[in-house]
Amino acid sequence: MSDDRPDTSGDLAIRDPPRVLVPVEVLEGQTIPQTLVEFLAPAELVLLGYHVIPEQTPTEQASMQFEERARAAVDDIAAAVGDAHTDVETRVAFTHDEDRTIDRVADEVDATAVLLPNPAGDISEILVPLRGIVDVGRLADLVATLVDGDDKRVTLWDLTVDESTALLDQSERTLRDRGLTDEQIRTESDDVEFPTRAIVDRTDEFDIVVMGEGKQTLLTTVLGDTSERIAEGAVAPVLVVRRDRSEDGETDG
Amino acid sequence: MSGSNHTNRAGESPETVATPTNTDDETTTTEEGSELERSIGLVGGLSVGIGTMIGAGIFVFPGIAAGEAGPAAAGSFAIGAVVALLVALPASELATAMPKSGGGYYFVSRALGALPGAVVGLSVWLGLVFATAFYLVGFGNYAAAVLLEAGVGLGGASVVVPLALVFGVLLTGLNLFGTENAATLQNYVVGLLLTILVLFLTYGGLDALGVVGQPSTPESFLPFGPLPMFTTAALVFTSYLGFAQVATIAGDIKDPGRNLPLAMVGSVLTVGLLYIVTIFVATSAFGSAQLATFGETAMVEVARSFFGVPGAVLILLAGLLATISSANASILSTSRAVFAVSKDAIIPKFASRMNLKYGTPHVALAMAGGPILVLTASGEVAILAEVASFLHLVMYGLICVALLAIRRDEPGWYDPEFRVPAATFVAVVGALASFVMIAFMQPISRRVGAAIMIASGVWYKYYASDVSLKGAL
Repeated sequence: MSDDRPDTSGDLAIRDPPRVLVPVEVLEGQTIPQTLVEFLAPAELVLLGYHVIPEQTPTEQASMQFEERARAAVDDIAAAVGDAHTDVETRVAFTHDEDRTIDRVADEVDATAVLLPNPAGDISEILVPLRGIVDVGRLADLVATLVDGDDKRVTLWDLTVDESTALLDQSERTLRDRGLTDEQIRTESDDVEFPTRAIVDRTDEFDIVVMGEGKQTLLTTVLGDTSERIAEGAVAPVLVVRRDRSEDGETDG
Repeated sequence: MSGSNHTNRAGESPETVATPTNTDDETTTTEEGSELERSIGLVGGLSVGIGTMIGAGIFVFPGIAAGEAGPAAAGSFAIGAVVALLVALPASELATAMPKSGGGYYFVSRALGALPGAVVGLSVWLGLVFATAFYLVGFGNYAAAVLLEAGVGLGGASVVVPLALVFGVLLTGLNLFGTENAATLQNYVVGLLLTILVLFLTYGGLDALGVVGQPSTPESFLPFGPLPMFTTAALVFTSYLGFAQVATIAGDIKDPGRNLPLAMVGSVLTVGLLYIVTIFVATSAFGSAQLATFGETAMVEVARSFFGVPGAVLILLAGLLATISSANASILSTSRAVFAVSKDAIIPKFASRMNLKYGTPHVALAMAGGPILVLTASGEVAILAEVASFLHLVMYGLICVALLAIRRDEPGWYDPEFRVPAATFVAVVGALASFVMIAFMQPISRRVGAAIMIASGVWYKYYASDVSLKGAL
């Protein structure tokens, strides 16, 4: 954490330091780009190495054969990450359902955000799509915490249909309060028909997307979470800020 | 956890991945601290139980059973349901205390020791092989009936067994290479089947009672006397094997303390009720002698008598779906049964290998699919069914004995979330009922079943006699 900032930790809408869950499909040879590790340096990392097996295979059977390999691979990644992070927790899981496992572990470790990895180069351009009033405070707080230094620029992109600029104003104010300069913040506003597509289409201009996880709707139940669909189509990694679980008290079945 | 000298002939010893006590509602934690996600909920558990059972009881047995016992075949199915419930309760208690892959084999080996365990483990592997072959022959009958209905010329030759074999190969291949989400599909198939059956049986039941249509003249309930009701109960008991398959996937079931007992007892009650109503409707629509001449696809004729060709087509399709879902669920259970004995070094560890590319247990699946095809080729519905029931009933009896043994000196780790009320009574009656049912089977089925059990015991003595499993978590 940099020391030249005003200390606002008491007012933060997220835990400090934030905790980011990084799921890695470990036996598929997936790794985390070093630049991404450096970008996440202000956060605590929880590294979740997981392996998805089809339903015809008991998880016990998979763990008998692949547990050692999976643990070794996760430890390797943790060691590489360890240069930038002092505090890396590792977990290993075998599952038939990766979404359920990632959700469960994120709940258990009280993760602020979940990283949906994609290849990444140097990270300097950050896209922050704003899609609704939910969690804008948490989103801006996390972005502000991660952007330490002057070399990164944040684009706040209002995708809500209404004319009001309240969301943009609130987010911009948070970033400014947390020490970002005018040159680092850009604001845009668009009224698009398909926000998910629009975000995917712009990911090649940016190095990472930071967005809220949004609400569960009928559409997301059918098509999968918006953030996941964006991560699938995007060329950049997506960092998904989770809802504040302490308030909604909802249990995901 | 066993000592290093407790090894099988190949020098392998039982492997402990995780103890039953390291289990919570959502995961099992291995000794090294990895998490094994539990991803099957109550609906999934019910769908495995019902999906395995429904193919046989409704779509294969009614004609055969009515031919042997008359309308009293409904009583045969009721007897089967009571026996299944008496075993499902002890199995539920043991499964909530030991929610692990392997089901009945795991309880028996831990409570009674390696020899009974090995006999049960190997017998159930082969029992499932017999059951799957039986379901596949049932499928072959429906597929042949579909061809007949479509007017495809068969040239006089029976296509039942060839069709069954082709589908056996297809299903095994699908499980070897398929990584798609088949369980969700299974849930929908079972839901669709239940909907079709409830509609069909409701109409048929009202018709039989004379509420709609012409009242039918009831024939005598016991046209052949009471004995055939019991022998038929032994024959059709194959319709109730599925609840124990729920226990074989116990390691993957969420909130096992609640979902395992509900799935096991719930699936027995659901199919039991459907079977009894089915026989009632079928024997009301036709005399039992005429039903018997329709054979495995008698229900198609029953539907035709109510709804004409559309009804026949609907039940044909339902029969195809139901027998496929039974066969597929049983292939999966077989592969898990192989894994459970292989993990404990009763058979070579090689059998639990899986390939990284597809993530499927290819050796265990081959050990399921191979013998299934050989037995399917026989095409002997009644014997396949009875041997499958024989081998399962031995396990069921021993599950009840295992509950008695473990309740007598409760080990410290034994902490089931579900406890059977009046456990001693239920377990004693359950064990006796299971063994008595075997006595009503045809001599040839008993001989084949006994030979398989003896061979299993001999294999254990030869290959793994130093392996000890009693109380080894």
